[in-house]
Amino acid sequence: MNRALAVLAAVLLVSTSASAQTYPGSTTPGRIEISGGVVWIGGYEAGSRDATESANSSTGGAPLTLFTTSSRVSSATGFDARVAYFFGSRVAAEGLFQFSQPQLRVKTGDDFESATAATVVGTVSSYLFGGSLVYHFGSGRVVPFVHGGGGYLRMLDEDNADVTTGSEAHGGGGVKIWFGTGKSRLGVRADAQVSSRSKTPGFEDKRRMLGTVGAGVLYRF
Amino acid sequence: MTRRRLGAVVAGALLAAAVFSTDTLAYLKLGTRQGGQLITLKFNTLPVRYFVTNRDVPGVTASQLRDAAGRAFASWAGVPNVRLSSEFVGFTGANPLSGDGANVLGFVTRTDLDRVLGSTSFTVDTVTGGIVESDIFFNSLFSWSAASAGEPGRQDIESIALHEIGHMLGLGHSMVGETELVGTGRRVLGAEAIMFPIAFSAGVLNRVPRADDMAGMGDIYGTETFRSSTGSIAGRVTKNGTGVVGAHLVAFSPATGKLVAGFSLSQDGSFVIGGLEPGAFVLRAEPLDDGDASSFIESSVTIDADFKPAFYERLVTVPRGGTSRSVEIKVIPK
Repeated sequence: MNRALAVLAAVLLVSTSASAQTYPGSTTPGRIEISGGVVWIGGYEAGSRDATESANSSTGGAPLTLFTTSSRVSSATGFDARVAYFFGSRVAAEGLFQFSQPQLRVKTGDDFESATAATVVGTVSSYLFGGSLVYHFGSGRVVPFVHGGGGYLRMLDEDNADVTTGSEAHGGGGVKIWFGTGKSRLGVRADAQVSSRSKTPGFEDKRRMLGTVGAGVLYRF
Repeated sequence: MTRRRLGAVVAGALLAAAVFSTDTLAYLKLGTRQGGQLITLKFNTLPVRYFVTNRDVPGVTASQLRDAAGRAFASWAGVPNVRLSSEFVGFTGANPLSGDGANVLGFVTRTDLDRVLGSTSFTVDTVTGGIVESDIFFNSLFSWSAASAGEPGRQDIESIALHEIGHMLGLGHSMVGETELVGTGRRVLGAEAIMFPIAFSAGVLNRVPRADDMAGMGDIYGTETFRSSTGSIAGRVTKNGTGVVGAHLVAFSPATGKLVAGFSLSQDGSFVIGGLEPGAFVLRAEPLDDGDASSFIESSVTIDADFKPAFYERLVTVPRGGTSRSVEIKVIPK
């Protein structure tokens, strides 16, 4: 904990000392940044399990397979919205809301009674409420950045019958490109990150690492 | 209700009261008809007090039958969130068919039922559905074993007692099992319910209630915790727009691997599968073809077995303490 605080303090000190460095002709931008955009979240295998029945065997033979299932969560496109407050020119604290609707697809097969193989589908609404610390490498027109943070996950099935909640941690980086030099300015943002989620749609109760990429529009004032 | 080695007609004549499988949740419960209403059979007073006939058969003494029955009762009472208890009262010279007001388990030789391993009979208060008396006989025509690991060529008494005591407590038959035709009867290939009507081969142990059995027992004797912690799937099975009667529905949880099943028993093809743990399920419909229909459903019901097994195309989410959205599985003729 102490080590984490020390690192954070160092970052803040650096940002403070750098906050006066703006590129020529530029006005110091405002401290608030809002953004919105689209996000793509990668898919993953979500477990496979067979529907089995105990075999009629005194030797403990293999169970009878009624049918097999293998599950996958498809990659999904969603949107996010962010609000950031700049403590200086380089460091900002950012609040995040992200929404996506991945599909959970279960393929059935090898049916004992020859039922036609099917893909059984369910849609999950996934909400992420989180926050990040963002460090910007410079304060010019093109600004690379890295960020890290965490959040709270809330997922509902398509009937809103079952709610799953969990925690999330993420880290990544990207670039912001500004179109103006005034205190208020527009820009665009592209980023990629790894998101570690304690709960995800699917049938395996384990933490997963998901890759996400996003792009959006920025307004700083 | 009977437990058969090979296919045989249910020995309805043994039943002291008209007993039907009711169109309730999941698995089938036993019920009796009062006027136009079906009333679920159950013991309204606990513990279930029972006697054991003081008669040995080769391989199983009366004491071993008492012990096996005690373990079987305990297995049912061990189903999570059910309120069940039993008490062995003592040995008796009475046969388990006597209608003397006492619940009796024991061996009887029934040469007229040479395919029936055991059977459960009832005397029922037809107003309340309360079981006044229930007796279980095990057919001593067969070779039996009480060995803890079972014995080749001998039926395991605890396995069969578990099934018959399931009936005694009010459960009907489950169809979570697969069979093949052998001569004039059927042989089990696999089953995932103690209450499957055809027994495993002699020497094979089957002593642990499965998810389907637990759902059924929970439906009859479940506590408020059971009802608030489980949910159900409701819907219809249709073919060419009309309801399918007698379709077997299997709900499978890819998360847990558990199978719980039920039937559509109404003319509109409606069904309810209850006692499910909350979560997402794959739902599959199949015709009733792994046993005699009369083993599951009262014979006055005409079932439709002319359709291909099929999966419902959406995952069905079961809420905690509630019922899923209504689903419709459309099947096509064979």
